[in-house]
Amino acid sequence: MSSIKEKFNQISPSEFFYSNRDLAGFSNPTRSLYTAVREFVENALDACDQKGILPDVHLIIKAVDPEKSDPKPYVLTVKDNGPGIDSSHIPLAFGTVLYGSKFGLKQARGMFGLGATMAILYGQITTNKPVIVKSSVDGKIQDEFELLLDIQNNKPVIVKHSTKEVSKHGLSVSICLEGDYSKAGNKIRDYVYETSLITPYASISFDDPKGEKFSHPRFVKDIPPPPTIIKPHPHGIDVERIRRMIVESQFEIPTIDDAMIEKVRKDLGLSMKNLSFTGIMDKAKKKWKTLPRQVRVVIALMSFLKMDFDKLMKIKIEDIDMANKKLFYWDFGDSQSKSTDMDPTSPYFKQLTNTVQGEPLTTFLTKRFQRIGPTTALKFAEFAGFKPEKRMGTMTNQELVNLSDSLQKYEDFLAPDPSCLAPLGEKPLEKGIKKFFNPDFTAVVQRPASAYSGFPFIIEMGIAYGGDIKTGGPHVYRYANRIPLLYDEGSDVVLKVVNDTDWGRYKVKGDPPFIIVSHICSTRIPYKTAGKENVADRPEIERELRLGLQYLSRKLAAYMSKRGQADMAKKRANLYAKYIPLIAQFCTELADKKKEPNYKKLLEDENSFESEKVVKKEDEIEN
Amino acid sequence: MKLKTSKSKERSNKADEKQKNILEMLKSHGAKIYDDLDNEQFPKFSIPSRSVSNIVYDKKLRQYILGNNTALRSSRNSSQLRSFTQLMWLAFFANRLTKEKKSSTLRDVYYSSQAFAIEFEDQSESDNIIVDLEAITSKPREDFHIFPEERSSIFGDLTIEYTIPGYEGKTMNLSNHPDGYSIGPSLTTAELVDTSAEIVIAIEKGGLFTRFVEEQIDKKFKSVIINTGGQAPRSTRTLLKRLHDEMKLPVIVLTDGDVYGEHIAMVIKSGSANAAHLRELTVPDAKWVGVWATDIEKYKLPTIPMTESDIKRCYDLQKDPRYQDGIWKKELDVFLRLKRKAELEAFSKYGLTNITDKYLPQKLELAKSL
Repeated sequence: MSSIKEKFNQISPSEFFYSNRDLAGFSNPTRSLYTAVREFVENALDACDQKGILPDVHLIIKAVDPEKSDPKPYVLTVKDNGPGIDSSHIPLAFGTVLYGSKFGLKQARGMFGLGATMAILYGQITTNKPVIVKSSVDGKIQDEFELLLDIQNNKPVIVKHSTKEVSKHGLSVSICLEGDYSKAGNKIRDYVYETSLITPYASISFDDPKGEKFSHPRFVKDIPPPPTIIKPHPHGIDVERIRRMIVESQFEIPTIDDAMIEKVRKDLGLSMKNLSFTGIMDKAKKKWKTLPRQVRVVIALMSFLKMDFDKLMKIKIEDIDMANKKLFYWDFGDSQSKSTDMDPTSPYFKQLTNTVQGEPLTTFLTKRFQRIGPTTALKFAEFAGFKPEKRMGTMTNQELVNLSDSLQKYEDFLAPDPSCLAPLGEKPLEKGIKKFFNPDFTAVVQRPASAYSGFPFIIEMGIAYGGDIKTGGPHVYRYANRIPLLYDEGSDVVLKVVNDTDWGRYKVKGDPPFIIVSHICSTRIPYKTAGKENVADRPEIERELRLGLQYLSRKLAAYMSKRGQADMAKKRANLYAKYIPLIAQFCTELADKKKEPNYKKLLEDENSFESEKVVKKEDEIEN
Repeated sequence: MKLKTSKSKERSNKADEKQKNILEMLKSHGAKIYDDLDNEQFPKFSIPSRSVSNIVYDKKLRQYILGNNTALRSSRNSSQLRSFTQLMWLAFFANRLTKEKKSSTLRDVYYSSQAFAIEFEDQSESDNIIVDLEAITSKPREDFHIFPEERSSIFGDLTIEYTIPGYEGKTMNLSNHPDGYSIGPSLTTAELVDTSAEIVIAIEKGGLFTRFVEEQIDKKFKSVIINTGGQAPRSTRTLLKRLHDEMKLPVIVLTDGDVYGEHIAMVIKSGSANAAHLRELTVPDAKWVGVWATDIEKYKLPTIPMTESDIKRCYDLQKDPRYQDGIWKKELDVFLRLKRKAELEAFSKYGLTNITDKYLPQKLELAKSL
C-alpha cells in the first residue's frame, strides 16, 4: 500500500485573489472593465476627499487595436489632482495585494484599496503588461514607475523607474486589460454620469474608445466636511478585534541598552550631566508628564533597582514577576543573577503592571471605544461580570469571548458617533438633482444618524418630478458612500422600500416622470455581495429609508395635488373657452337674434377666479 | 290624388300651427339661454329626472309618467358643460329641421353633430341627448322631425293629405298599393282626411299583414291594417293614437301567443317606461285580442316551449302595476302555467286562411265585449 502525502502550501494574498477574482467583480471582460474603472475613479475621489482637494478626475479608455472586435485589450488611464503617493510607497501600494491606507474607521468609498490592485492583477493576467504609475506629491517632481506583480510572492517587480519635472501634483494610473467596451460602455457612461450627480464638487471627464468625450464639470464649489477617523463602537466589535486592540495596548519591556539609556538621559535633560540615583528620580518626577512610555518603564525599573545610569549599564533585566513582586536581573560585574523586591504600594509598581499585564478593563474600554465613559465602563463591568480593574493582558480566551458577547448585548451604550460619516448634504444633493433633471419639483431629506450592529449610518434621499425626467418612473438612483450602484438592483433594500410604496396614495398615477435618489452613508455598508452592488435589508436601514421616503412622498403628494388643481383649473378654463362660444352661437340662432350675446367677460372672470383660487391654495401649502 | 279643398287648407293651417308652437317653444328656451349669457351668467335649466326612482305609474292616465324630481343642468359645472352644449346644439339643429321641414333619423343627428364641432362618443350618447330634449319640451322627437329608422306599414281605406314640403295639399288613399305604405315622416306628419274603416287592426308580423291584405280583411271587416313589425315604433304608436283620437277608430292588437306579444299590446295601450316623459304615444282604449295563452288550449295550437328568458320576463311583468288585473294578469298566469308559447302562424296547421276565416271573426266579436 502506498501512502498519499498531502502537501500543504501557504499561498500569498495575490495568489488567492488570482484564483478568486470573481469575488471582486472581475468575472468577465465586460464586468472587469467596468469594475476597473470604478476602482480607479473611486480611489482618485477618495484621495482628494481626504486632503480636501476639489477633485479633477480624468478617465480615458483606449483600444490598443481599434480594428479588433470585442473583447480586446484596452488601456485604461485615470488621472487626478489628488495628493499623489510618496515614491517610496508606490511599488508596495500598486504591486502588492492588501496594502492600503484606508484601514481606519471612517466613511470612504473603498475599504482597503484592494480593488485597484485587483484591477492591476487582472490587467497583468490578461495582457501581461505592466501598470504605469505617475505620481507627484509636491507638484515639482514626478515619479514614474512601471510595475509588475510577482503573484506567487505578493511582491512588486519594478520594471522601470524615472523622474521628471512637472507643475502639478496628482496621480495617474494606467493599466492594460482585456475588456468589452461595446457591452460595458453603457454602464461605464451611466457610472460616470451618476457619480457626478453624487459628487457635485468634482469635475469628471471621460474620453471613450470611440472618441466621444463626456464632461461633467463641478457645479458645487464646497467640499462637504471630511469625515473624522473615530474609535469603534462597542456594538460593532468582535473577539478578533479585541485581541488586536489588546496587542496594540501592550508594551514590551524595553531592552535597556546604551541607546535606550542615552534616550532616557536625553528626555530627562541629563545628556551631559551625571546625577545620583535620588537626583535622577527627582528629575523624573518633575518631567513625568512629558516622558514617553518606554522612558517611564525604565525609570520605574530604576526605582526598584535603586541604580543610577552607570550601574544600569552593567545589568540586564531577566524577568519581572508581578505576582511575587520580584525583579530578576543579570549583573555583568558579578557575573551572576540577582533579584530585588518591588514595593507594590509604589506608583512605579502600577506603571510596570500596566505595561506587563495590560490596562485595567475600564481604562481599556474608555480609551479605546467611543461612547464609553468611566461611569458606563463601571456599569458595563458589573453587567458583564468582570472586575473593573481586571487586566486585559490576563484575560483567557473564554473571558475574551464573554467580553465580546457582553459588549454586543449591553444596551445602554449611546448610538454610534456619526462624525465619521460624510453625507453629501441636502443643499448639494438638491442642486445636483435640479441640474441633472431640470425637474418641476424637487425635495430632499437627510435623516438623523442611526446605527445598525454598531455601525453608524445616515440616509440621504431626494425625489424629483417632471421636467426632463423620462416617464415610467420611479427611476431609482442608488448610492452608497458616494458610489453609484448599477448592477443587481432587483435585490436591493432601496428598491424593496420603493416598490412597497403605494404611489397612488401620494397622487402619483399612470406613467409618472419621477426619480428617487437614495444615498446610504456608513462606515460599513452591508453589501449583499463582494461586488458592492446591492445593499442588504437590515431592519434599521430599511426603517430609515422608509421614513425618508415617506417624508419625501408626502411633499410630492402636496405638490401633485397643487399641480392637479392647477391642471384642473386650466382644463376647466379650456372647457369654458371651447364650449361657451358654441352655446352662444346656437342660442343666438334659436332666439332669433342677430348679434351673439356678450359672453367674453364671463370667460375672463372665470379664468381670473380660477387662478386666484389656485394661488391661494399654493400659499396654504407653503404655510 | 284629389285636389285641394278648403277643408284641406284648414288642416294645413293646423300643421302650420303645430310647427309654429314647436318653433316658439324652442325660441323661448333659446332666448332664456341668450339672456343669461348676455347678463354674464352661466346659463342653466332644469330637466325632469329620468332615473328609475322618478318613473311612476299613473293609474288615471294608465301609463308610466315621470315624477316631480328634476335635475339642474348648469354650464357652470364643467362636468355637465359638454352635455349642456350638446343639448343646445340639438335644440338648434331641431329648430332648423322644423323650420325647413326636413326630416332626419337618430343616426343623421349623430353624424350632423360633427359639422358643428360637437363630438358625440357614439350614437347612444346622441340618442340620450335627444331624449333629454323630449323630456324638457314634453314633445316626442318626431315633432322635431327626427324619425326612427325602423318602419312599420299600413294598409286600408284611409285618405291622407301631406304636409311635407313639395307635397303639401296632395292627398293619397292608403288602399292603392297591396304591399301597404311604410309609416315614415311624411305619413306621420300627414293630415288624416277620411276613412270608411270602422276599426284598426294592429298585427305584430309582416307575414300575417300580407295575408290579411290578400284576404281583404280591410274590406271584409272595414278595417285599417297596421303591421307593427314587432314592438311598435313610436311613429306607429303616434299614428295609432291619431287614428283613435282623430278618426274615432277602435284599435285592436293581434300578437304572437307569448309574453313578448302580450307586452307589445301593452306598450301600444299604455306606453313604455322608457318614454315615461311623453304622453302622446298611448292608446289607452286599445284592446289585445290574441293570441292569448288560453287560446293555445282552446284552439289546440301547436306550441314550442318557453325559454328561460321567456319565463323570467313573465315574472318581471308580474311586478308591473299594469299586469295586476284583468286579462293581462290572467293570461300571464296561464303562460306561466303552460310554460309553452304559440306563434300567429300556428293557425296554419288548420289551413292558411284559418286565422282570417275563423279566429279573427271570433276575436272581433269578442273585442266588442272587452
